Parts: sequence; C-alpha cells; structure tokens
Amino acid sequence: MKWFAPIPLSIKLPLLAAAMMVLVGTVASQQVLRSLAQVQDARIQELARMHVEGLSVALGPLVLRHDIWEVYDTLDRAAQGSEGRRMVLTAVADERGKVLAATDPRRVPMDSDIAALASDAVALDDLSVDGASNILSLLAPLTYQGRTVGQIATELDVADLLSERRQALLYLIMGNAVAIGFLSMAGFLAIRRMLKPVTTLARQMTETKGEPHPIPAADIPRGDGELARLARTYNSMVGAVAAKAEAERRLAERERFVALGRLSSSLAHEINNPLGGLLNATDTIRSYPDRPEVVRQSADLLDRGLRHLRDVTRATLDQNRMDPETRALTSDDFEDIKLLIQPEVSRLALDLEWSVDPAAVIGCSLSAGPVRQIALNLLLNACSAAGQNGCVGLMARTTDGNLSLKITNTGASMPQAALDRLLGDGPLLPGGGVGLRLVRDLAKTMGGAVCHAQENGVTRVTVTLPASWEARDAKG
Amino acid sequence: MEYLIGRRTFVGAGLAVFIARHAAAQPVFRLGLTPVFLDNDAAIIDGLRRALSRGMGREIELVQRRTYQEITGLLLERSVDAAWLCGYPYLQHADLLDLVAVPVWRGGPRYQSYLIVGAEDGAEALSDLQGGTHAFSDPDSNSGYLVTATDLRRMGEQVEGFFSRSIFTFGHRNVVRAVADGLVRSGSVDGYVWEALAVIEPGLTARTRVIARSEWLGFPPVCARRDSLASEPVQALQTALMNLAETEEGRQALASLQLDGFQQADPALFDGIAVRMADLEP
Repeated sequence: MKWFAPIPLSIKLPLLAAAMMVLVGTVASQQVLRSLAQVQDARIQELARMHVEGLSVALGPLVLRHDIWEVYDTLDRAAQGSEGRRMVLTAVADERGKVLAATDPRRVPMDSDIAALASDAVALDDLSVDGASNILSLLAPLTYQGRTVGQIATELDVADLLSERRQALLYLIMGNAVAIGFLSMAGFLAIRRMLKPVTTLARQMTETKGEPHPIPAADIPRGDGELARLARTYNSMVGAVAAKAEAERRLAERERFVALGRLSSSLAHEINNPLGGLLNATDTIRSYPDRPEVVRQSADLLDRGLRHLRDVTRATLDQNRMDPETRALTSDDFEDIKLLIQPEVSRLALDLEWSVDPAAVIGCSLSAGPVRQIALNLLLNACSAAGQNGCVGLMARTTDGNLSLKITNTGASMPQAALDRLLGDGPLLPGGGVGLRLVRDLAKTMGGAVCHAQENGVTRVTVTLPASWEARDAKG
Repeated sequence: MEYLIGRRTFVGAGLAVFIARHAAAQPVFRLGLTPVFLDNDAAIIDGLRRALSRGMGREIELVQRRTYQEITGLLLERSVDAAWLCGYPYLQHADLLDLVAVPVWRGGPRYQSYLIVGAEDGAEALSDLQGGTHAFSDPDSNSGYLVTATDLRRMGEQVEGFFSRSIFTFGHRNVVRAVADGLVRSGSVDGYVWEALAVIEPGLTARTRVIARSEWLGFPPVCARRDSLASEPVQALQTALMNLAETEEGRQALASLQLDGFQQADPALFDGIAVRMADLEP
C-alpha cells in the first residue's frame, strides 16, 4: 500500500468512496443474481413438478397396461401444448426401466433403456438452473394410485432462463457502472468541495513565500465546523506571527536608535573635546597674527584637531553605512572599532587591552562588515558590563585557520536573558536588546560559533569565524 | 266388451296412440362409427350426421368407441341401430349382421390395405421389416391387421415372432402418425385413409412411404343386425345413404369423406377378406 500513500487526500478519499460503491454494487448484484437464480430454480421445479404430476395422472393407467400408443399420443399432445417448448424431450419407461414411448421416438426408441437417457439426470428437488448447460435432465418416478409404475425422464430447455440471467447480469453491470460512475463523480466533487478549505490551508502554509498569509474570509467555510475553526485558528496564528515579526522589527529599530544615540553622544563628546583646544588656537591666531611661530603652532594644533574629527566622522559613517560591507577585513577596521569605542572607554575610565594580529586579520579573508558589527556590539556590551574603572579587552588571533575574536571584561557577569540571546535560538523576550542576538545570527550566517566563559570575575566571549574558502584554498 | 268402451276412453286411447306414434316417428337413430380417419375431425362427423339426419327425417346420434370390438358389441347388443364397421368384423358376425350399404370410393366399393414405413426407411417389402417394430390399427381391422397378419402367415411367420414388438393404435390415422414420428418402423393402414390423409394432411403422409398394397378388398360397410334390416329406421338409413349424393349437405359430407357415395352391397364383395380369414385359421 506504499503506492497509495503519496496520492493526495482529495483523490484518495473519492477513490475510496468509489471503491466502496463498487464493493456495495458487486455485493448487491450478487444478491440480486442469487435471488433470480432461486426464483428460476423454484419456477423450473414447480413447472417440472406440474409436468410430472400431470403426466402421472394421465399416463398411470396407460403405463400400467403398457398401452404404448396411448402413452405416446398423450406425450405428443402434451408436448404440442407445452408452454414455449420448455420440455424438449419426455420419455416414459415401465417399472423395469424399458422405454414405452418418448416424444422423440427416433432419439429414444421403444424398449431402450431409460438409464442411457437419464445418466446425468437429477431428482425433482435437485433441479437447478446452474448455467452449465441449456438442457436440464430430470428423472422422476411415475406414481399411480400410490404405486410406482414407471419412470419419467424429461429434458427441459432452460436457455431462455440462462439468457434472462445473463441479461440481468449485463443490466446489473451496466446499471451499476452508470450508478457507480455517477456517484463516484458526485462523491469526488463533494469530497473535493469539502476538502477545499484543507487544500487552501495547505497552500497558504506551503506555497506562500517569506511569510504565511491568512485565508481570505470568502474561503473560510460557513458555520462552526472543524474546518471553519481550523481556518480561523490558522488566521489567528498568522496574525500572531505577523505581530511578533512587527514587534521584533520595532525592537531592532529601537536598538538601532539606541546604538545611534550612544554613538551620537560619543561623537559629540569626541568632537567637543578638541573643540576647546581648536577655539583656543583660533583665538591665539587672531591675537598674534604677527607672530609666525605662534600662528604655525596654532595651525598645527588646528590641523591635528580637525584630522582627529575627520577620522571620528569617517569611522562613524563606515559603521552606519546602510548597505552591507563586502570588502575584506583589514587591521584598519579594528582601529576604527577602537576609535568608535574610545569615547565609551574614556567616559568610564576603562582599562583597554587591545591585541590584534594583523597577519591573522588579513589571512582569513572575511567580510569587514559583519566582523566589525560583531566586535563593536560585543565591545560596547563589555564596556557597559565592566562599569566605571573596569577592564575591557579584545584579542584577534587565528586558530587552525579560523579567526578567533576574544572579548573580555570585568564586572558583573552576563545576565541569563542576555546569555539566552547570545547562545540560543529561542524567542526574544520583550524588553531585551537585539544586539547580542544579532551577534549570534551574524556568526551563524558566517558558519562560526559563539562561546561564553566566566572565570575569576572575568567574562570572556569568544567568537570563532571560519576563514573563507578562498583563504583556505590559498593556504592549501 | 267393445261396447263398454266409452267416448272418454276412446279419446284417451286415441291420444295415447297419437303420442306413441309421434314418439315412434321421431326416435333418435344411433349409428356406430369405427375409428376411421374421420373420427379426428368433428366438422366431418357433424356434416355426416346432419346430412343423414335430414335424409332420414330424424335425429341421429353418432356413437364412437375406441375399438372395433366395442362398436361391434354395441351393434350386436342393439345399443346402436346400425354401424359403419369393417369387412372383417362383419364377416366374423355374418350370421347376425347384414349389409345396409357400402361406400363407393374412386368408382368402386373396394379399397386396399397399405404397408407403410418411414420416408427414409430403405425397406421394400414386408420381409425387409423383420425384427422391427410395427403398428397395427385394430385387431379387428381388415386393412389394419388382417391383411398383414395373413401375409405373414403365408410367409410362414407369426406376428409376434416376426416383429420385435407390435402395437395397436386403434385408429388408421394413428398408424400413419406412429410411423411418421418414428415410434415404429412400419405400419398396416387402410389405403383409403392414407390416400384421404394425403389430401388433407400431406405433411403427415409425406413422412411415410407405401411399400406394399394388398389386393382390392371390400370397403368397410354399414351394417345392421340381420333381424332389424327390414325395420323402418334401418331402411330409412339405407335410403338416406343411397340418396346422400342428391342433396347439397350430402354432397358436402361425401366430399369431406372423399367418397363418391353409397351403394347396395353384395356379401360376395367381401370374399377376399373371407379368404384371408380362412388363411388365419389355425
């Protein structure tokens, strides 16, 4: 039955219904044919009984007297008058089994043995239209005044009954075929119609790209049946999924604004710090326009300050570029990151341990964008966790050709909710940020892994990113 | 005494005589019929009855029985006034019976006995039929038994030994049927009946073939008891038979019987049968 399993339900059920109808039709036809056979048997037995009894009455005294002509004449006249020539042959024998006369004397001559004619004959009660032959043979005793005076052998033509039976069979087959065909088609359409909501549900769940779509109200069955409830439940589920996606999107947006805000404040702080020095330099130039060395020193000071501002703004722009960065990672990227977290480090008076192996960074040929995002998110998180006067560190190395980023920080250990976001794929609980989940998603996308350890008050998050295949080929 | 007869007595006696004479003038005449071919056709029998009834001026009841013996018995015991017998029973009881009339067939008062077989049978003579089955009409029939029995006797054979089995069908038409249907191989039949059947049932006789014809013998006569031959009813019957051809009804009846008419019969007409009877004597 394995072949049956892949057939869709909308075909399978009508097929089963049709099979059931064929079965029922066959059984019913069998019953009809059996009844017909019983009726025919009863009819032929009744006819044969009347024939034998009638002949017994008429022939009894004649057989007793061995009046051959009268026996023949009676048989002949009975045969002439018999209904539809049912009795094709009747022979009458005396008590010794010697034929006295038959309706066809040439076939059954006088004084022949009736046993030769009645070799396959049956008794009256065993007479049955069994379909094997068009002719039935009957052998019955000829009883007169309570005494058996001879025997009657009769051959009955049942071709018409067999033909009637064949015709009934043909009509049954044709009738059943038409009825089954009609009912199967009706059943097929009805079940297809009944299963339409299921088909729609399956299509909505499997064929829609991106996200599931609700079932249109017009396609939901009326009433409060199982299918209607299923469709409504499905629609509620689709709504819940959409709401959840929307919430996540808003959360990510908020996180982005938070990060932007944090960066903006860092940027303001970074720009504000040198501004005082720069304004002093311009005042100095205005005050001592005639002292070239003072002007030159002040111009140098202005130049350094402006260059610093340029570097800060460039790093910020690079970090927040809208399109994903596809260029390869370089050690400058880590310098940018260092520059970006510098305001946070300064604000919190953190001790920053920075160790980047330039050869390792270049050799792994990874995209700059995701790596920068991973490092920045983890470092900002580490700064926040380390608190005032804490210690934060970054170490970038290669291990077995893979880039290993190790971010450490002192201070409070990472809360369970944050660990769930960083290490698990479970749903995001409301209220938490999405930065750590973003780290996990980016690392997974790049085929990497994230590990977390807490030792001696130091939290260590290690992100292992496999080198791209080009790099592996180059090494190989 | 005669003077004692009063007028009332005289009138009563006269009335009684009138009633008796009237009843005697219209008695039902009972005519016995042997089972010849015509006994199968009610219309033929009815036509004959009506024609004779008109000719005789009285009702006629035709009495039929299965065998010649029964009809002969009825005649001898006066249960019938006359009977259409066969020459053989007539001669058997010639001392008590007399001839009223004899039919004329094909110009003469004679007929033949036919020996018939099935149309497909190859037999050419009586001797070829030895060991077969045979149908006779009646043990008292000249053409349907006596002729074949005497022929066999002349061959030095007996009916019982010559045929494997012989049956009596008690009717000449039945002999033809028995042979045509194959119930028996051969049969002895009245030639007049066979020829008449060849006209009205050609399909039946076509299935038989005549292989031997006897000499011409006296046609089955109409007989009455010798002691009643001169009686008025029998004389009326004789007259009616002789005059049958003169009325339309009579002609129709004769045509149905395929007879020319009736004539006075001479006992010598049956000498041929007498000879055969003598041959059969043990």
